[in-house]
Amino acid sequence: MPYRIGVDIGGTFTDFALFDESRRAMAIHKRLTTPADPSTAVLDGIAAMLAENGVAVSDVDAVIHGTTLVTNAVIERRGAATGMLATEGFMDIPDMRLELRYDMFDLRLRYPPPVVPRYMRAEAPERIGHEGDVQTPLRIDDARAAIQGLVDAHGIEALAVCFLHSYLDSRHEDAVRELCAREFPDLYVSTSSEVFPQMREYERWTTTMINAYTRPMFDRYLQRLEQGLDGLGIVGRFYMMTSNGGTVTPDIARRFPVRMMESGPAAGALMSAHHARALGIPDALGFDMGGTTAKGALVRGGAPLKKYEMEVARVHEFKKGSGLLVKVPTIDMIEIGAGGGSIAEADDRGLVQVGPRSAGADPGPACYGRGGARATLTDANVVLGYLDPGFFLGGEMRLDKAAAENAIAEHVAKPLGLAPIRAAWGIHEIVDEDVARAFRVHASERGFDYRGCSMVAFGGSGPVHAVGVARKLRIPRVVFPLAAGVMSALGLLVSPLSFEVLRSNLVFLDDLGDDWVERYLRLPVDEACGHLAGAGVSESDIAVTLRLDMRYHGQGYEIEVTLPVRGGPDLAGVSDLRPRLRELFEARYAEVFSDVLLEESLEVMNWKVEATGPETEASRGYAVSGAGEVGASGEASVDAARKGTRPAYFPEAGGFVEASVYDRMALAPGAEISGPALIEERESTCVVGPGDTARVDARRNLVVDLAGEVVSA
Amino acid sequence: MTTPDHDPIGLKILWDRLVGIVDEGVSTLVRAAFSTVVREAHDLSVMLLDTDGELLAQGTHSIPSFTGSAPATLAHMLARFPPETLAPGDVVVTNDPWMGTGHTYDINVMAPVFRGGRVVAYALSVTHLPDVGGQGFGSEATDIHQEGLRLPVLKLARGGRLDRLLFDLLRVNVRVPEQVVGDVMANVACVNVLGRRLDAFMDEYAVADLTPLSRRIRAFSERAVRSRIGEMPDGVYPAEMTIEGVDSPLTLRCAITVRGDSIAIDYAGTDACVRHGINVPFCFTNGYSIHAVKCVAAAAVPNNGGTTRAISVSAPEGSILDARPPCAVAARHSVGWFLPTLIFRALAPAAPGAVQADSGMIAMVAFRGARRDGRPFATLHFASGGFGAADGNDGEPTLSTPSSNAAIPVEVWEAATGIAVTRKALRPGSGGGGAARGGLGQEVFMRNDTGRDLVVDVMGVRTDYPAQGMFGGGAGAAREIRVNGRKVARKGRFVLRPGETLERYEAGGGGFGDPADRPLDKAAEDRRLGLV
Repeated sequence: MPYRIGVDIGGTFTDFALFDESRRAMAIHKRLTTPADPSTAVLDGIAAMLAENGVAVSDVDAVIHGTTLVTNAVIERRGAATGMLATEGFMDIPDMRLELRYDMFDLRLRYPPPVVPRYMRAEAPERIGHEGDVQTPLRIDDARAAIQGLVDAHGIEALAVCFLHSYLDSRHEDAVRELCAREFPDLYVSTSSEVFPQMREYERWTTTMINAYTRPMFDRYLQRLEQGLDGLGIVGRFYMMTSNGGTVTPDIARRFPVRMMESGPAAGALMSAHHARALGIPDALGFDMGGTTAKGALVRGGAPLKKYEMEVARVHEFKKGSGLLVKVPTIDMIEIGAGGGSIAEADDRGLVQVGPRSAGADPGPACYGRGGARATLTDANVVLGYLDPGFFLGGEMRLDKAAAENAIAEHVAKPLGLAPIRAAWGIHEIVDEDVARAFRVHASERGFDYRGCSMVAFGGSGPVHAVGVARKLRIPRVVFPLAAGVMSALGLLVSPLSFEVLRSNLVFLDDLGDDWVERYLRLPVDEACGHLAGAGVSESDIAVTLRLDMRYHGQGYEIEVTLPVRGGPDLAGVSDLRPRLRELFEARYAEVFSDVLLEESLEVMNWKVEATGPETEASRGYAVSGAGEVGASGEASVDAARKGTRPAYFPEAGGFVEASVYDRMALAPGAEISGPALIEERESTCVVGPGDTARVDARRNLVVDLAGEVVSA
Repeated sequence: MTTPDHDPIGLKILWDRLVGIVDEGVSTLVRAAFSTVVREAHDLSVMLLDTDGELLAQGTHSIPSFTGSAPATLAHMLARFPPETLAPGDVVVTNDPWMGTGHTYDINVMAPVFRGGRVVAYALSVTHLPDVGGQGFGSEATDIHQEGLRLPVLKLARGGRLDRLLFDLLRVNVRVPEQVVGDVMANVACVNVLGRRLDAFMDEYAVADLTPLSRRIRAFSERAVRSRIGEMPDGVYPAEMTIEGVDSPLTLRCAITVRGDSIAIDYAGTDACVRHGINVPFCFTNGYSIHAVKCVAAAAVPNNGGTTRAISVSAPEGSILDARPPCAVAARHSVGWFLPTLIFRALAPAAPGAVQADSGMIAMVAFRGARRDGRPFATLHFASGGFGAADGNDGEPTLSTPSSNAAIPVEVWEAATGIAVTRKALRPGSGGGGAARGGLGQEVFMRNDTGRDLVVDVMGVRTDYPAQGMFGGGAGAAREIRVNGRKVARKGRFVLRPGETLERYEAGGGGFGDPADRPLDKAAEDRRLGLV
């Protein structure tokens, strides 16, 4: 019987999910991450989980893996000795960045150094013009000498080849790659035209350097995993998840590690989309809050929104512009420096600020009793009664409520002249507001109307704050899926194989001829579909999605228009869309910028092709088998699940009120609960406000409908 | 719903939300704009002002000079169109240098925000237009009338209907009409977004009147700034510097009086106005002066009317820092940009840990010509010098300062203009030495590949007077501009013929502290990276 395994490596835990395709049952498993060699926890966990569930290794069809290993390697600078070969006169572009300050008032700005230091860069005389014309032919002897120099002087193991305008014509970069294949066969080579053929040299080159820098490390890691899986006797296929939520074969993952940077969080966002689809909600907000950060994703038409740019290794933790800019297809996520460990303190204005400084896991919040003295969000949530000091991590760890109260009194209430309970509530409320604000700006920049959407909430702190955030956004419904603590591992199992290719090729809409599809789309379509075919997907199973970045001539920012066809690699019917392109663009333009339409000519900037394999079995629904069976009916289970009451703070009800406390695992489908209520599971607590109603649906999701709109500051 | 409390929690929530609204306005503006000046270089500012006419919130990424000038701009607009005469859907504009931000290139676009039939706030959006006609951007004009179309305070729209006549007037007066009109409309989209978001905000938090909230925000800001100023020892701190003029050098002087929790900056002794377009209207002087104090005293407090209250600025009438009509002012930044440096130097003894050595500063070059396909263009190219070092902090290379303009990528620039960039590289050795080293400048070489003559205006600063170090730190390398290998005047206009080259060597930043105190590992790393 076929099984599929999802494995997601996080900073503290490695999470596992085992999907039994015939019974549609999902088993979960969790163990500590092994930082020295993360593959150890992966392999041990797979073996343990198979044994626990009595599954034979030969029945494992596929293992799908997500990891932030690549991101961590960049942050911790653990990549390979990497060289760079640039167009003559331009090797300093990585140091010069965009020349933009991320803060207008800070006189002590710092930026992360490029991953390839200046002394490990070299230049080659060559030049392609902005129209794709060869202005200076590449002299291969010069390139050879430059590379030999880097090998001899620095023992480079990887090379980034970064030439200007290579997104238009890659012949010079290709020539260097071929040279290396012949004469430097051990060198890991990445060219900027294969990594991401888009205009803007700083971003493209930085992306290429990071790709080169992480290739050797990632290749070795994948080798260890593959050997380990072989050693366990697993014969099924092995896949990696990319930042945009697709899965790829290890061959592709080895070539493009930069595409794997956000694979864990991407899997979480995919689960938000999955639950939205399963519940028949087309548009949703995914909200995940952990110990140090919160993440948000927007789901439109059942799929998470994507973007093509991200920042890593920010020097100023959450300051946009203080990191390395990377261009890759990725799920468009909001990151907010707020989590359970976020420290509350007075800011320069004399107002309460929560995060981005975090007490981390050690010493952690004051209530952990490990020496942390500062007040954190978790301390506030304990003082407000939302978290039970005796039932943290299912009771494994006792929290010290008095320490939480002291920390808030000393570090927030006293310095700012606030009553202690107001201070605790303020900390909670400010985080709700920060998250809501981030969602608002994010949604409005993307022309996304979230009113009437549902929210899908998970993570350790997400369920404590979700209803409050939703209320601020006037979102009527919040869904808390079961097994919220291993969402990313589950997400790995719902994603089909896919690969996305983007090409910059600026052309006026009016200049598109009858052959426009063949001329501009054929090449990227063949490339994207080729990757899938190589993974064993038959052509008839490949779906192709086409997106064009379009703009008025003269504008610098493009609007993405998804073509309303979802066909196969033959692109049937696409050609006929040409007369509708303007109207499709204007409809999107109006959504994003509202009203003002112009008469300017339109141009297409980027051509994006995503090839997707067949849907996975798990995406059609599953039951979590590790969650324990509930025999009782919904109604009867409510009484059985009730653990008692405790005072919790709800200002709309006048302050502390006795809220009923329930064991989530004992609630059966059909159960209905009225707020105020605290519904606890091992890793989190769902806070349900007065007047809100919660019910358990057939899949054992907890669905909370919010009472009428109440907003207070 | 209750009226929100204005304690350190309630205020925080409302205040940050207001800053979020203007930031959303900035993002609308940038994405809807047509010119590279706005969309790539972010030469813009977005603000909300209250019914007292005071600044309530400003977009996080905004040009500093506009902070101080916005209330005055609004006052001029309301003097022409009093609040009671405004109607929903009205949009008011001006680009008058003395009412706006100091030159005709900045268009100020304002829309009143209405609720229940009355004005509750004003949304203001300002961008640097790619062209306003006249001579074109540069310092060559000898009076304001040569500096292009000057719009007094006018209504661009009445009740939501655009004034076609005004757009027709704009189109025929400028070199790149589609970009100018596109940018003006992007400003309109921006103020509309601000209005809608503010309306929703007031609904949601049941804010009937913004002004009490605004006063509270300003009071907190003022207190934060004053408490930091109060930490500086009382005294009078003078500074003087000589900078490049057009024909002859100019001397700027200031005396900063710190008394209690207030700062007064006086520019007495500064040279008089000149016959070139580098004179500075006082609004620009005031804006950059306030910005500089804020960098030293309260970097993290969001900009609003309160942050400026503890700071007063004065300059003698007719001096180059208070130029009056009909002076030419287009390149007023080439003098005004030095004010933060002058102020940091003056305040160095009062706040040694908070100031910064001189920066190499940004250089703008204006190009007018046509692409190979015949499409005309008039645009700016920005290239930054090195950042000045601060106590214990090396200056970063090539950072836009004091204005905040992003570099235009080589690939984008070439595709937009057909002017080839043949080299863009760090300029080793250009950072001033010190315990903390000054940031490196850069070399940018360009070749006219358009096949036609190009008109080029250079407005170079730090060509004769390089960035100075502080507390014993060394000076950065001076800026140089060469045409076909020959050094040219620091400021001026010339024609670059097809195939000719323009070479720019951008200035390095100054160092901080004695070079002998530089940590050995840092000195070794500098050598290894080839930076010195």
